[in-house]
Amino acid sequence: MDIVRFEPNGREGAGGALPVSSLPNFFESADAKSAKQHCRKKSALLHASGYEIDEGDLIELARAGGAVVFAFSDVLAERGFRRSILISKMRLLISACRKRGTSFVFVTLAKDEALMRGARELSAFAAVLGATDVERKDAEKRLLSITGGSAKAGKPAGPGKMLPAGGQLVGAPASALLALPRKPGNPPPSAEMVGK
Amino acid sequence: MKPTERFKRRYISFSLSLAGKPPAYGEAKEMVHVHFLSFFGESGISSLAFKLVKYDAQSGRGVIRCERSRADEAIFCMACLCDWKGAGARLAPLSTSGTIKRL
Repeated sequence: MDIVRFEPNGREGAGGALPVSSLPNFFESADAKSAKQHCRKKSALLHASGYEIDEGDLIELARAGGAVVFAFSDVLAERGFRRSILISKMRLLISACRKRGTSFVFVTLAKDEALMRGARELSAFAAVLGATDVERKDAEKRLLSITGGSAKAGKPAGPGKMLPAGGQLVGAPASALLALPRKPGNPPPSAEMVGK
Repeated sequence: MKPTERFKRRYISFSLSLAGKPPAYGEAKEMVHVHFLSFFGESGISSLAFKLVKYDAQSGRGVIRCERSRADEAIFCMACLCDWKGAGARLAPLSTSGTIKRL
């Protein structure tokens, strides 16, 4: 599953694309100061485009059951040294999240279909940033709970409506990620990577 | 050199498109090499054991080789390609294997 900035066109895909506009608990902030006000909100998905969040705010976010959003489109938007600085900031933020017990999610936040990426690519993105296999395997259950669904209750992920993803770029390793065991009645597993 | 002392290799198949169409062999080769070189640098490329193994200009599909422990980095690098000389480009990884035959 992915969170995107555009309205997906409903094409069949391997996962689901959830438009940001349908998520009331998604917040964006440009810097650490403006991130502070969103950290106490319940199950907040916080996207700090500067990837600078104070450690105290990370603790608040963990208490509220929220998660930090790492967007692939932010990496694509930068070039050269600026891209390497951004990746470095993301790595630092992931290690801070791990220390403070805050969840994190990896999505594309794509503005159009050209910027959409497959599950295998998001998995590689997570690995490059330093997320472990265990953190990556924690995937769909965490994301479902944050976006409003419940893996145990078998409810569909909401409050936003689940729409099929536009990409068909999921190769064999991604299908392995999708082939997680599930009980009858539970929602289909998503390919989104979520760690804690 | 013993086989156990060599690089452990992974082969990653990919689909390449430039402005919606598969580019010709020469352009594809330049695109992949320049992109990997700018991402990893000379030292990184040497430790990555990178090689463009094959590319079919008609289908736009090809295979690259990399070092086993750095396959994720190679895939991330491929995903980072979004434009080439002003045109939209996409280097999408399809599958990963230890042998070319099983891709």
